[in-house]
Amino acid sequence: MSSRALSLWGGRLLTILTIAGIGVTLLPYFWMLSSSLKTSSEVFELPVRWLPREPQWSNYPAALSRGAFGVYFFNSAVVALAVMAGNLLVCSLAGYGLAKFRFPYRELSFRAILSTLMLPLEIVLVPTFLVVRGLGLVNSYGGLIIPLAVDAFGIFLMRQYIKDLPDSLIEAARLDGCSERGIFWRIILPNCKPALGALALLTFRDNWDQFLWPLIVASKDTLKTFPLGLAQMEGIDSAAYHEIMAIAVIAMIPTAIIFLFFQRAFVRGIALSGLKE
Amino acid sequence: MFQQRVGWRWPSLSLQTRLCWAGFLFVLPALLHLIVFKFYPMVEAFRLSFYKYDLMTPPVFHGVENYKTVWNNPLFHQSFWVSVKYMFGVSVPEWFLAFALALLLNRGMPGRPVIRLAYFFPIAMSQIVVALVWKFMYNPLGVVNTLLGAVGIGRINWLATEQSALPALILIGIWRGIPLFGVIYLAGLQSIPKEYHEAATVDGAGPWQSLRHVTIPLLTPTILFVMVMSLLSAMKVFLNPLVMTEGGPNGTTRVLPYFIYETAFAYHRMGEAAAASMVLFAFAFALTLIQLRLLRRGGVE
Amino acid sequence: MRRWLVACLSFVVTAALVAGSAFAQTITWWEHSNPPHNNYSKELVADWNKTHPTMQVEYEFFAMTPYFKKLSAALSTRSAADMFTVIDTLLPSFTTKEVLAPIHPEWLGYKNLDDMKKAYLPGALDGYIHDGKLYAVPMIAATFSLYLNRKHFQEAGLDPDKDYPRTWEDIGRVGQKLVKMQGSTMTREAFDFAMHSSAWTMWYMEGLTRQYGGSILDPAGKKCTANGEAGVKAMQVRSMYVHKYKISDPTVSLATNALPADDMPKGRVSMFITHAGSVAQFGPKFMEDVKVVPFPQVNPRKPVSIIYGFALAVNPHLSEAKQKQVHELIRHVVKNPKEWYDKTSYPYPSANFLELPGMDEARKTRYLDVFIGDIKTGTYVTRTAYYLEISDAMHRAMERVVLKNEDPKASLDQACKEIDSALAKP
Repeated sequence: MSSRALSLWGGRLLTILTIAGIGVTLLPYFWMLSSSLKTSSEVFELPVRWLPREPQWSNYPAALSRGAFGVYFFNSAVVALAVMAGNLLVCSLAGYGLAKFRFPYRELSFRAILSTLMLPLEIVLVPTFLVVRGLGLVNSYGGLIIPLAVDAFGIFLMRQYIKDLPDSLIEAARLDGCSERGIFWRIILPNCKPALGALALLTFRDNWDQFLWPLIVASKDTLKTFPLGLAQMEGIDSAAYHEIMAIAVIAMIPTAIIFLFFQRAFVRGIALSGLKE
Repeated sequence: MFQQRVGWRWPSLSLQTRLCWAGFLFVLPALLHLIVFKFYPMVEAFRLSFYKYDLMTPPVFHGVENYKTVWNNPLFHQSFWVSVKYMFGVSVPEWFLAFALALLLNRGMPGRPVIRLAYFFPIAMSQIVVALVWKFMYNPLGVVNTLLGAVGIGRINWLATEQSALPALILIGIWRGIPLFGVIYLAGLQSIPKEYHEAATVDGAGPWQSLRHVTIPLLTPTILFVMVMSLLSAMKVFLNPLVMTEGGPNGTTRVLPYFIYETAFAYHRMGEAAAASMVLFAFAFALTLIQLRLLRRGGVE
Repeated sequence: MRRWLVACLSFVVTAALVAGSAFAQTITWWEHSNPPHNNYSKELVADWNKTHPTMQVEYEFFAMTPYFKKLSAALSTRSAADMFTVIDTLLPSFTTKEVLAPIHPEWLGYKNLDDMKKAYLPGALDGYIHDGKLYAVPMIAATFSLYLNRKHFQEAGLDPDKDYPRTWEDIGRVGQKLVKMQGSTMTREAFDFAMHSSAWTMWYMEGLTRQYGGSILDPAGKKCTANGEAGVKAMQVRSMYVHKYKISDPTVSLATNALPADDMPKGRVSMFITHAGSVAQFGPKFMEDVKVVPFPQVNPRKPVSIIYGFALAVNPHLSEAKQKQVHELIRHVVKNPKEWYDKTSYPYPSANFLELPGMDEARKTRYLDVFIGDIKTGTYVTRTAYYLEISDAMHRAMERVVLKNEDPKASLDQACKEIDSALAKP
């Protein structure tokens, strides 16, 4: 076969695979949405119904009333936003320090910081819990937020990005008599927007659905995050999938919006940070 | 928070020293946080691994007994291998499929923004939602079996059958990981200046050769990053086994983090859980080092 | 300016907190989740709160599986609730660590513990006594009984009142007339055991093993005896409906369902063993199609069944005054056994339960006789502080036999190895 024909067929195959891939990727979403509008008996009907006979919009308010979901979503938002803010601030500070300054043990600090990426929370769950208890933060917003407020990934990202900023900018500002603090706020941060954007998105997404840490730290119902509410709902009545899916759909809205509107900035942010060792 | 110093100058110190301090102070908040919430717990976990502690009565020193118990516990070994199978079962396909995805999306394709969106959506789905939706889809009476039934495959109880439970979870891991790592690869691909590819074509290289000799070498840092991050994040997986299978059936989805959680919080054997955690950490550390070494030899710029 | 604002705010917040705590004290109460039960508890709390404006009760409930993990984590950090519901099987893991306050029968209106025992069904308090002291006050005595779907029986030409199974083999025989197949796929199970929880597995297995004259642990709770002759026979019964009689198929039921008795109302299974609380969970409408009969037996002349219960325990870190208040709350919660029964369909283990006014009707229409009968012939699972490890090991053994058709003796041998090594740890 000529190479042109080959590439034509190759192109067609690629298209088919792409469409199939999209199908597989989106199937859970479709299923989630469709199930959220079914009645409780349609949900497990055999043979499987792809679409509800009549959309049950009432599932949504019914599901929300199964637990204090208003509070839960609020808490998730608070945690996500606060942790995001914490990360944005502290990680860019640290990234700047590691990228543009020289001080003893700088590289060691950086490697030590990176090594914390290898620590899943589950490993240090109990000692971290003990620390939080020692600080008197159990069962409080502080306990939910502070331990998560800094993550090595953000430091890594910001350092990579800031490294590529031209030194001349900084030196010029110094010559002008700008304080170090001023340089950070007025020169560095404004030039970091793509990386900050990417970090904001990732941090928000990772913390919007915090489950394990709130499970351990929060026992008051008023402090629970929505994943706890969902798990509780499923644990109590796992047959009520239509309502569970309704909550799942609602839970997706913030991250979906963010990704719809900010995905380009996100990709650029990752790209421009280079990710070189 | 970075302290407000209005009008502070250090006139007596040289610029060099001043900058030194400034750098350190910038990094200080992060370091403090990590020391309190990561390093200290890590050290504590190490210390606890030498004690018997049931969370409710004070810890009792126990020497290396916990390590011996963990080592002699067949459930620990089972969990270790479940984790290894999961980690590589998820990561290795991710490396290739995410790369393929990125290459695909990098071509000019009609409807690219839409396709891109579709592939990236799984990133937006919360972990707990992923777990519940897939649990639902894997139900014996659910979608997956229906689709397979259309192709003539009989009803499988995915999450309650030993041979299928772990693969079922692995599939979810891959489904979720490809878009994320695809984005990272895509970003990497897009940062390669066109001139390199053009030069290669001028030299007579075909698409495969261009890939092998231009793209991949230039992308090595990104590839390294993806490899390390995918393994590490697969190692940490915990929510899916917790919500979907509770580690069963017969422990075939009990990954090591789940074993640790169970030993600590259900069985109240904190010391043993800490010992198992140390093993997990050592494994992760060794794995990362090996990867870094291997790829460094492969030629990182 | 900013500093002044911050100072003001902190002062206001502190003042509010202090003032708030002076106004109303709270008693926190934690419970596991069970919808009819939680609803009644909420009513009780609302009642209390009306008459106790300065001592309000805050009630929280959690899904069962994480509840006990969370409870132990909280007890370790002294952040547990003032009063919490415990299940009898997990009591030893708490009492052996002294994280429960002993109950004072005098504060509940009794002269002493012996006096209190007389007010309950014989043996009902035993599950909650450790070292001669009582550590929790039961509010529910639960037992397992056999529920069957009348309609299915009638459709198959059987008489639910005469032909109901009395033994495990009966279930196999009767089940063959009830099972529905479509080709080689089972579309309706005749009978199944719940498979989702190691606690349920333990109850089934302990019941069966005791019927054969053995038990899962030796009486001292120090050694595993589940792989003895009795245990092996028990496991054979457990798995025979899948492999021998073929009236049971794990892929039909929602094997991971947390409300295990959901298969019955949805018509996916004709016979099912569940606890007394399912009467309330199924609801009166479905219960019209249901008949409840005693727990199946190996030997109907020597019946043995299984009981468990939920009880209220007190946080030991409370001041004596607060503990007294919590005892008041306990009295309030258990003061009306008939109401407990009406709302949750769980019997209350008080000695005069059956003689309470209004009970006659319940005996006729709500199978109370069946439940009380099973309670009377019932035993608690052997007390052990390692309950969760043991039940997980048994659950895995069951999964191996039922799902993989592994040999029961081999599977139980492995379980005993795991259990013995857990028991051996200090």
